[in-house]
Amino acid sequence: MRCNYCERRCRIASGETGFCRMYTVSQGVITERFPHRWSACGTSRMEAFPFYHVFPGSRSLAIGTTSCNFRCRYCSNAYIAKEDPESQQERMYHLAPREVVAMAKKMSCRTIVFNVNEPTVSLPSLMDLAAEAKAAGIPMGCLTNGFMTAESTELMASIFSFFNVSLKGISKTFGREYIGASSLRPVLRNIERLAGIRHVEVTTPVIEGANDTEIDAIADFLGSVDPEIPWHVFRLLPEDEMRDRDYPSIEAIDAALRSARERLPYLYFHNFVGSDWVNTACPACGTVAIERFSLGCGGDKLNRVLGGEGQCPGCGRAIRLFTHSPHAGDEGAVRTWT
Amino acid sequence: MDIAIVDARGWQNTLDLETGEKASVSGPAVEIVQGVLRRHPYPGDMDRGSNRWVSDTAIDLIEAYNPRFVFLTYAAQYFAGRYVPMTGEERSRMIADAFLEAQRFVDRTGFAAIAVGTGNMTPRKGAIDATAIDGLAICTHWSTRYAGLYDPSPADLALLRSHPHIESIVPREEVMTLFGGTPGQAARVPQYLMLAREGYTFKTAGVLMKTPVMIPSVNSAIPLYAPGRTVEAITGIRAILEEELAEKNVALIFMEGVGCDEFAWPFTPCRNGTRWWHYEPSEAQYLTISSGRHRFLDYPTGYKDFEEEDASKLYPFSGYFKAIPEDTFGSHFPGRSISVGNKSMFMHMVAGADISIECFARNLYNQGTMAVIHRQDKI
Repeated sequence: MRCNYCERRCRIASGETGFCRMYTVSQGVITERFPHRWSACGTSRMEAFPFYHVFPGSRSLAIGTTSCNFRCRYCSNAYIAKEDPESQQERMYHLAPREVVAMAKKMSCRTIVFNVNEPTVSLPSLMDLAAEAKAAGIPMGCLTNGFMTAESTELMASIFSFFNVSLKGISKTFGREYIGASSLRPVLRNIERLAGIRHVEVTTPVIEGANDTEIDAIADFLGSVDPEIPWHVFRLLPEDEMRDRDYPSIEAIDAALRSARERLPYLYFHNFVGSDWVNTACPACGTVAIERFSLGCGGDKLNRVLGGEGQCPGCGRAIRLFTHSPHAGDEGAVRTWT
Repeated sequence: MDIAIVDARGWQNTLDLETGEKASVSGPAVEIVQGVLRRHPYPGDMDRGSNRWVSDTAIDLIEAYNPRFVFLTYAAQYFAGRYVPMTGEERSRMIADAFLEAQRFVDRTGFAAIAVGTGNMTPRKGAIDATAIDGLAICTHWSTRYAGLYDPSPADLALLRSHPHIESIVPREEVMTLFGGTPGQAARVPQYLMLAREGYTFKTAGVLMKTPVMIPSVNSAIPLYAPGRTVEAITGIRAILEEELAEKNVALIFMEGVGCDEFAWPFTPCRNGTRWWHYEPSEAQYLTISSGRHRFLDYPTGYKDFEEEDASKLYPFSGYFKAIPEDTFGSHFPGRSISVGNKSMFMHMVAGADISIECFARNLYNQGTMAVIHRQDKI
């Protein structure tokens, strides 16, 4: 059978697994192997994920599972994303959807965010959780690599109210050499679709000599979709197979972003302590509307929101913010897989 | 103003430690520190050169600042021992290397060493799952033996009290009786403090997926190397420092994750807590040694740290600390003092030294280094 959750569309035989090792075929159906097992369940600041334009300064319950459908050479969570998921189950949290939502409530979390690994590898559990969270009025968000099928994109749009899609590069060469994906075109397609129906932010980790030459192309793409998409450019922390690489030059990346800044008003450059590029300025008049502080690996934090929430303190123009209940303006039902 | 200088490799910022705002300051101490940070990028918690970085950085800073008191932490063996499975022989070699590094520092600088091992490690036997309860259990800052418990139902208490791997569950009132403290401090202490039996960790919300292979033992005593001197408890170490410093330059050296079973230098054991409470390698243990009195309440384990994580929290580089702890040894010492360590971002809070340099790493992710200048007026 084909697994149609992600664009790898693995062919899986009965009792076998595909690339991510998270699905199998049981009684002729693609089935999740480890439902309702979580690798993480703790609080986080919204800015630390990062989501800069979602409930600023709020507390979220951060969750994750295991495995991934990419094999990034610089993975910062390789011990979760690349290890055999079966070997990790003993360490996982075993929490039913009701218990995850209860945990969020006990810790006064405004949202639930899936952020450790790729949500596409655990969609059935996330559908169950979303139904419970929605009933409790808790919006869910996720960090994703965006390499899911068009069908899964619709499903994820019914689960999550806000997304941070990692657009790691654009070229085939980069995708092949650093990600282990033959093409990143599905990611672009999914960003276009999601940006039309949900709140979307985008993150690009920059690796000198690998994807720094693609910065302008990525900026062009985002500008064509929606110039007000918040774009987080990360200074890559050399990890995993690239741990011996030099730390990328902050000055060089900053210089490479100059042209993009003229087109994309919500462009941020961080993942290092004390970054100068983490505040939100009004796209119209340039007045700072939201001040933040970057703690690098400690996660970013909100300093203050100036003026009214979602409004420029200078000219009153709207600043893009997601502060809704789950799927406001939508019927809100979690889709079922067909 | 306390100054933080953060070096993210090729990117230095000078900031106000309290607010995190950029600070425009200059002077000889700032220049010295900026140079030392540039010359000594941190190799990473799990890197073989991590302990060497401590010695090299301290030696460089001593040459420029000429302190009389040095506060050092060597922690590479703690991180590696905690997460990397190794044979007894490999572990022995790793600890011997850590002591060689400390000895190199002593030989090179001529400082008289007083050394403390923060406690034995023991193989992790398993976890106590406290997630699916009606109340809320919380572990904080790498603690394994202790967890806080909030709003437990009678069923929770019955279940947890009968758990074979939980040693005891102590109500807040009993914790406060042991440590004293103000009503404000009591508010941060969990309703109940749960104690695991040796070898077991708590599994609560917020626990890292990176499961340790070795965890701190229940260390009722820890080793103290202080030639010709003994103390009954770790609260007595401060008095030794004061007496020794009257005569010579002194280095207080912490060997993280090393206890009486593996301490390589001659030592006497000293009590590592009070009654049923035994310190884990932690900020509270360092503060207790630095100040000479028990300091559980500055940073109580198992408290709801996330409730203090809002935009108004000060000291953004200082973990969960909301203020600079009082009565640290360095803050009272009239001579020049420095601290250097590779156990993350808290040296500047527990040592109270004029200048502190520490790695800027969290959960083993290496973002660079940070220096804090508490005092510029001694140069």
